[in-house]
Amino acid sequence: MSLIDAGEARFARQRLLPGLGPEGQELIRDARVHVVGAGATAGPALLFLAQAGIGTIYVDDGADVDGASDGDAGSWTYSSGQLGQPRVFAAVEALRAASSFVHVRAIATDAEPTATLVCAQREPVARIAADRARRAGLPHVVALGNGDGGTVVTIPSGAPCLRCAFQPGARLPPRPGAAAALGSLAAVELLLLVARLFPGDGTGGGTGRRIDLADGWPSVRPTARTPGCDCQNVY
Amino acid sequence: MSTLRGKTALVIGAGALGGPAALALASAGGVRIVLVDGGIVETADLAGQPIFVEADLGKPRGSAAARRLTRLFPELEVEVSARGFDEGSAGELVHSADVVVDASSHFPTMFLANDAAVAAGKALAHGGLLNFTAQLLTVVPGVTGCLRCLFEGPPPPGPEAGALGPLAGFAGSFLGAEAVRLLEGRPGAYAGRLLVHEARSGRSRSVPVMHRPGCSTCGAISEGGARAPGRSS
Repeated sequence: MSLIDAGEARFARQRLLPGLGPEGQELIRDARVHVVGAGATAGPALLFLAQAGIGTIYVDDGADVDGASDGDAGSWTYSSGQLGQPRVFAAVEALRAASSFVHVRAIATDAEPTATLVCAQREPVARIAADRARRAGLPHVVALGNGDGGTVVTIPSGAPCLRCAFQPGARLPPRPGAAAALGSLAAVELLLLVARLFPGDGTGGGTGRRIDLADGWPSVRPTARTPGCDCQNVY
Repeated sequence: MSTLRGKTALVIGAGALGGPAALALASAGGVRIVLVDGGIVETADLAGQPIFVEADLGKPRGSAAARRLTRLFPELEVEVSARGFDEGSAGELVHSADVVVDASSHFPTMFLANDAAVAAGKALAHGGLLNFTAQLLTVVPGVTGCLRCLFEGPPPPGPEAGALGPLAGFAGSFLGAEAVRLLEGRPGAYAGRLLVHEARSGRSRSVPVMHRPGCSTCGAISEGGARAPGRSS
């Protein structure tokens, strides 16, 4: 079976999605996604993006695998034998085992992402990463866990920034099941963006949204620019 | 964790929904998981079922999923049922569990699981997928309506639907979290309320699932069953 035939077979069910088709699958294949974080929220997201056929994934995480930390329990990507390893390398290994269709490596200065997914465990890190993506003009999705729930903010190019959509506040570390749900939802949002299936103008531009998860129930609302926020001057 | 020690979750289906559900159950700690899946890992499974890796291709799905679970959670007690989930085995499998997780994505199996769980008086956490839509429902026998109260029976066969892996992961993770709630004795988030989430719009809605008079499955036990409140977002 050729690589093309193998891809046809692997992504056959995904291509059946209304509006996706071969063209959408090509957009997914051509995407280069910078993923910030490799913990309990990012792990499931990374695996789903790799298996969905994202062409290139840059993994960005500075921590080591630590079974006691709140980010590694239930991350789906680490085993007990990997304790002490850099999480970024353990995640790269897991993604390569999951799919040979993805080019995956640690983030480097020559990386040229086309989109960013932020699943950092610490909110200040997430905000810095989101701001960098915004200033680079990249569509981005940010997942912020909070105990049994959390929030996913989707920011196409030109949409209100994370600061407009979500104010800083005290949050609990995400529990593993909720973190996986949050990471999965963030991966859904990112795939909708790169496949140009996100509601809006057809190119994923302009309108953002925020999905809150509480007690197992999602609720969505459009984001709005805070008066005076400088994000309107950057895009 | 102590409240889950010694409890058993029967997970029907180890793929798109069942894999994330089992991972969520395993991450809670202490739960014994019985996996039922009679299929083998196929090429298309590798596009959205991260409990499997490429090396699992062609292997039985149940044992491949169990191997991954125990690698990630070495203390987990997981058993793969050698029998499939059919009319001959359903009753026994359900009786041996404290909660039933229907992640089969197969209409006849969904209704078989519903019927067996209601007959045994076991709570059922049900998940379903269709293209960009995911649904979750918890059936508590004698308290809520059941799947047949809502749909009566499986729909006629239709064309193959699409699948988006992370949407299944989203629903499957919540399915596992719901099973944990039920095992802990907490109220189910989807008890008597069908959550329908549409990924493209991002919208969710709640459909109350009340006992339907004359339901062939729960009619005998749900006389005067609770009416579930609606909810929307």
